[in-house]
Amino acid sequence: MLTNRLTMKTPKNKKQHKEEGPENINGTLRIIEQQLDQAADKYEDSSSDYDFEAVENEDVVSSDDGNDDDTRNNSKMDGGGSDDSREIIEESDSSEDEVAPRNTVGSVPLEWYKDEEHIGYNLAGKKIKKKERQNKLDSFLASADDSKSWRKIYDEYNDEEVELTKGDTKLIRRLLEGKAPHADFDPYQPYVEFFAWDDSKHPLSNAPEPKRRFIPSKWESKKVLELVRAFRMGRIKFDDKPKEESNLYDVWADDSSLAERQGLAHIPAPKFKLPGHEESFNPSGEYIPSQEEINALQLIPEEDRPKFIAQRFKSYRSVPAFDKAVSERFGRCLDLYLCPRARKKRINIDPETLKPKLPSRKDLKPYPTTCYLEYKGHKGPVISVTAESTGQWIASGSNDGSVRVWEVETGRCLRVWDIGEPVQQVVWNPLPELPLLAIAAGQDVFILKTGLESEEEQKKIEELLRIETPTAPDDSDKNASFITWGLDEKHGGIRLKHFKTVSSLEWHRKGDYLSTLMPHGESRSVLIHQLSKKLTQRIPYKLRGLPVSSAFHPNRSIFFISTKKDVRVFDLLKQKLLKKLEPGVREVSSIGIHPGGDNVIVGSKDGKLCWFDMDLSSHPYKVLKPHKKDISKVSFHHSYPLFSSCSDDCTAYVFHGKVYSDLNQNPLIVPLEILRGHASADGRGVLDCKFHPRQPWLFTAGADSVIRLYCH
Amino acid sequence: MPKHYRLPGKKKEGNAAKYMTRSQAVKYLQVSLSVFRQLCIHKGVFPREPKKKVKGNHHTYYHIKDILFLKHEPLLETLREIRVHEKKVKKAESKKNRNLAERLERHKPDYSLDRLVKERYPTFVDALRDLDDCLSMVHLFAALPAVEREHIEVDRIHKCRRLSHEWQAYISRTHKLRKTFISVKGIYYQAEVQGQIVTWLTPHALQQVLPSDVDYKIMLTFLKFYETQLELVNYKLYQSINVKYPPILDPRLEALAADLYGLTRYLDASARASLVESIDVRPSGSDQNEEQQEGTKLEEPELRLAQLQHNLSSSEPGSLMRLVDDVREEDEDDEETKECRNFFKGMKFFLSREVPRESLLFVIPAFGGMISWEGEGAPFPESDSSITHQIVDRPTQKRMFLSREYVQPQWIYDCINFRVILPTDEYLVGRVAPPHLSPFVDNEEEGHVPEYAETIKRLQAAARKEVLPLPGAGEDDLGDPQNLQGIIDRAEEIEAAEKKRKMAILQKQYLDELKMELESCQYHDHSDTSKLKDAEGPDAEDSLPNLKQIAEDAENMSKVLISRKKRKLLEAMEIGKDRKKAHIKLLKERKKKIDEAEKSG
Repeated sequence: MLTNRLTMKTPKNKKQHKEEGPENINGTLRIIEQQLDQAADKYEDSSSDYDFEAVENEDVVSSDDGNDDDTRNNSKMDGGGSDDSREIIEESDSSEDEVAPRNTVGSVPLEWYKDEEHIGYNLAGKKIKKKERQNKLDSFLASADDSKSWRKIYDEYNDEEVELTKGDTKLIRRLLEGKAPHADFDPYQPYVEFFAWDDSKHPLSNAPEPKRRFIPSKWESKKVLELVRAFRMGRIKFDDKPKEESNLYDVWADDSSLAERQGLAHIPAPKFKLPGHEESFNPSGEYIPSQEEINALQLIPEEDRPKFIAQRFKSYRSVPAFDKAVSERFGRCLDLYLCPRARKKRINIDPETLKPKLPSRKDLKPYPTTCYLEYKGHKGPVISVTAESTGQWIASGSNDGSVRVWEVETGRCLRVWDIGEPVQQVVWNPLPELPLLAIAAGQDVFILKTGLESEEEQKKIEELLRIETPTAPDDSDKNASFITWGLDEKHGGIRLKHFKTVSSLEWHRKGDYLSTLMPHGESRSVLIHQLSKKLTQRIPYKLRGLPVSSAFHPNRSIFFISTKKDVRVFDLLKQKLLKKLEPGVREVSSIGIHPGGDNVIVGSKDGKLCWFDMDLSSHPYKVLKPHKKDISKVSFHHSYPLFSSCSDDCTAYVFHGKVYSDLNQNPLIVPLEILRGHASADGRGVLDCKFHPRQPWLFTAGADSVIRLYCH
Repeated sequence: MPKHYRLPGKKKEGNAAKYMTRSQAVKYLQVSLSVFRQLCIHKGVFPREPKKKVKGNHHTYYHIKDILFLKHEPLLETLREIRVHEKKVKKAESKKNRNLAERLERHKPDYSLDRLVKERYPTFVDALRDLDDCLSMVHLFAALPAVEREHIEVDRIHKCRRLSHEWQAYISRTHKLRKTFISVKGIYYQAEVQGQIVTWLTPHALQQVLPSDVDYKIMLTFLKFYETQLELVNYKLYQSINVKYPPILDPRLEALAADLYGLTRYLDASARASLVESIDVRPSGSDQNEEQQEGTKLEEPELRLAQLQHNLSSSEPGSLMRLVDDVREEDEDDEETKECRNFFKGMKFFLSREVPRESLLFVIPAFGGMISWEGEGAPFPESDSSITHQIVDRPTQKRMFLSREYVQPQWIYDCINFRVILPTDEYLVGRVAPPHLSPFVDNEEEGHVPEYAETIKRLQAAARKEVLPLPGAGEDDLGDPQNLQGIIDRAEEIEAAEKKRKMAILQKQYLDELKMELESCQYHDHSDTSKLKDAEGPDAEDSLPNLKQIAEDAENMSKVLISRKKRKLLEAMEIGKDRKKAHIKLLKERKKKIDEAEKSG
């Protein structure tokens, strides 16, 4: 309305201002612009800034007057005239002002006044006291009695009860229905055009009417055509829901046996595990864990903890819904589509069938089974034991520095030498007519006569042990420089002084040669001494790693040296390496040669025993693992098909090891007996084992300073 | 990659060419991961375990042929279309084109999986074999609430309910149910359908918990396939017993949530009706016109049936029709089904209000019993004097009929599992029921037989003996050649038994002698040592543990020669055995403790 009025006025204003001057024109134009944008009151304010003529601005002025009246009235009201205030009310058209608000605090949260005695201030600035509160019962009773209570509303703001009139309720009802509040208001009045285009001299736009206003739209018709076509083709359907036709039919109608699954070989998913007794709602008592056991489960890491703990419910009715029902099914779904499937062969065999079938031990008799005698006398661990070739005597060397000779059958100690140093090894000369004893202790090797020989032999031995030039080094022999042959006055024998600790000794079968082993002798670690000529030779082969043990071939001129890793076989005549045996164990501790010479056993420090067939391969024919701890010694029997191993776990194993002359037949290896009896001392058990040369008996030397004889 | 397209530098053969990782597969198929997942689930494609994992251990590998199998699947195209459609809807929505969005939403492309069911299970037996997961899933969803947020729609739930009830009705009607087990997780059922053993789990009929860490989309994808599978299986099964599928239910019963009962009645009625029709048709077979008329009548039996069945079944359960029907079916059934059919024959059960009705409504008719419950639509009221058992699950029962027994629901399940009508005294109202044992466990194999299992075994034996003729009774009819034969056989048997006994006595004697010898040996040893007065005393004392040692040695010695691989296997086996033994030992110890507590208490 206002803008309308103003635009109507503008031409007149312009005329006036033209006469007055350009400045004013500019000013009025600005005003018009503002009028277009701004609200009416602002216009009025701005217009008061300019000097308009009274005639032109009649309306405005009159309204200004009204405003003045207002202010005047207000000042009057301060005086307290109630009549004037009613006038104001009549003038304003907003319904809110019909009743003057008693309270002047404005729209603040009323809880600010919750604890105060007043609810606000009236127009005069006086406190409005709160009314006394009726208690709820009374108010309820009052409301029950009062038939008009339903149209009473409590006005919190003014702290008073307002009774709605019929008009009010009608109005509210109309508002709730979403209609205009007054019944006489017509929202659809005919529109009264306030401005006609046609006759104006200067229309806003003088452009001719465009063509598109007169012809039907091309795009609309295209769209319509498209829709029509879509309807016809059935692309757009107006039936609300597509019909749910049941397309059930017998899929397996032609259930021929030829029907096969397409695609790659299908692995069916395993079925879920069927429940056991413990899953029952009322399980048997033994399936329910006690409280302590449940508490103990808390200590187990969560992934190892059993998923299900049995529980008992008094009745079926009291069983609750299983809270993991959905989760478990979900887990199953995940397994079905995410879990890689593979066919696993389940081995369903009797564990007994895994064990090899061994020939009966009864058929392989005789072999040592029971402890028959114990030879006691040593003070320290017995490190080495050796049997004389006739089988009447044994000799033993101990850590306490003594060497003893025993009678086998009675256990009588015949002789004792005190060497002074821990004895590493004792070996009898293999010739029965030369009962000499070779002893390795510290850096020395002693060759002693035992006094078991007959008188004829005695001379021969004495001759053998005589050394013409005790300490004179032989210049011609270059090896003599590091080994000295000398007489040992104390014990009556020969003493060979080495430059390093000697760890093991070995007689040649003819009793003339003696090999010694010094692990730290480097290039001169393996030496061969000739007793008859008192000569010493070095084995001219290179070794890799520390030598551990050496052995002569029983009937050919072949020499075995085992280092910690492998066993090297040398031909002494041709002076070359024949073979290298690779046991593939951690550390070789000892070797034994079969009396036939073609088979070697190797004991290792991880308790493994390797049997090599030299004709077959350089790898073991069989690897046995009898012991839990280091094998200390292995040995063959000279005549019986027996071999044994002894170890630090205080046991000795006796095996049957038959070698056939037929090359097509593999050796037969059967474990026969576990010999126990030795006690452990300092973590060491059985230190040495030797077979009796004629009988199937076994001597074992233990760290508990006892030698035991096991007989069949 | 397939053979015709191989990138330069890619492998031609080996694991690298045969397998691809999941992300490779997704890229190759040009789909999103979720679509790939859907495809895999519907097609039943699963990852495989290549011998050599070329891309590393943390990948999932698919076989290239599986992926190609997916690539040629028409469903892939449908899933793409759906994706496109969803985009259209989204676009319409974002352009505020409500009408279009709504219309598009209504005409969303859909797919049916029946072809895939056929593809995955070429024969009906295959489908039955793989029904366990399907049934468990459908039964679970039948018990779930519909949740808008997780897209679990009411229709799906209703469909699941319908399918599960149909399946149960079939099993119940044909008496194929074999075992049941109430576990904490739910109720397990086992049925034998066409020689296939089908086991499924139904949750307890209570409000289920919907955990938030579950991806319901995956479950719903599975469910979609399972629904189709079960529907097709049901169709085939219903067809096999000459019942129209899908069944039309009595709306009154449906409203009372007694769907299952309604279904069983429908099955009964329609089977009977089909029998009537077949009887009708046979005599009139010569007359062409009449047959045609019958044919036209057949087309609208649905309405008639719904009305008919009510009259038929409510009139008298042991009616003539039923008898005829049963006789005819019995010829086809195997022994076990016959046994199941007649297990609860002549018994009438009444369920109290607090008893979970759904399960028992399924189980009892499956074993030939008649059933009713407290509430509307029940076939007979509580006051019926012919009721033999009332199933009650409350601490005390106030008003009791003397003519019937009041038992706990566990009694039914135990009876069914062990196929013997157990004495009810232990299951009476207010008693602590004996333990409920799992029928899926082979106690002997497990190593531990619960006490109650033994009791039941005795009862079973007793029940069987009653049926068998007593051996003493056959003595007077010697004239019968068959009986004579039997007696001769028996005589032989007795002789054999005598021989056996003698042998046993001899053996025992021999063993005793051996023992004596051993003891005397020890004695000798002892005397020797005492004579010697040597330090070998402890050696003699060792002789008893020595026996054990010898056995151990023998064991060790046989192990010495085994190759490492076999030894490891053996050790693994022993570990497994030991674990089992330890478990059994624990059970026995607990049992002992309980027994002791009972004695003292």
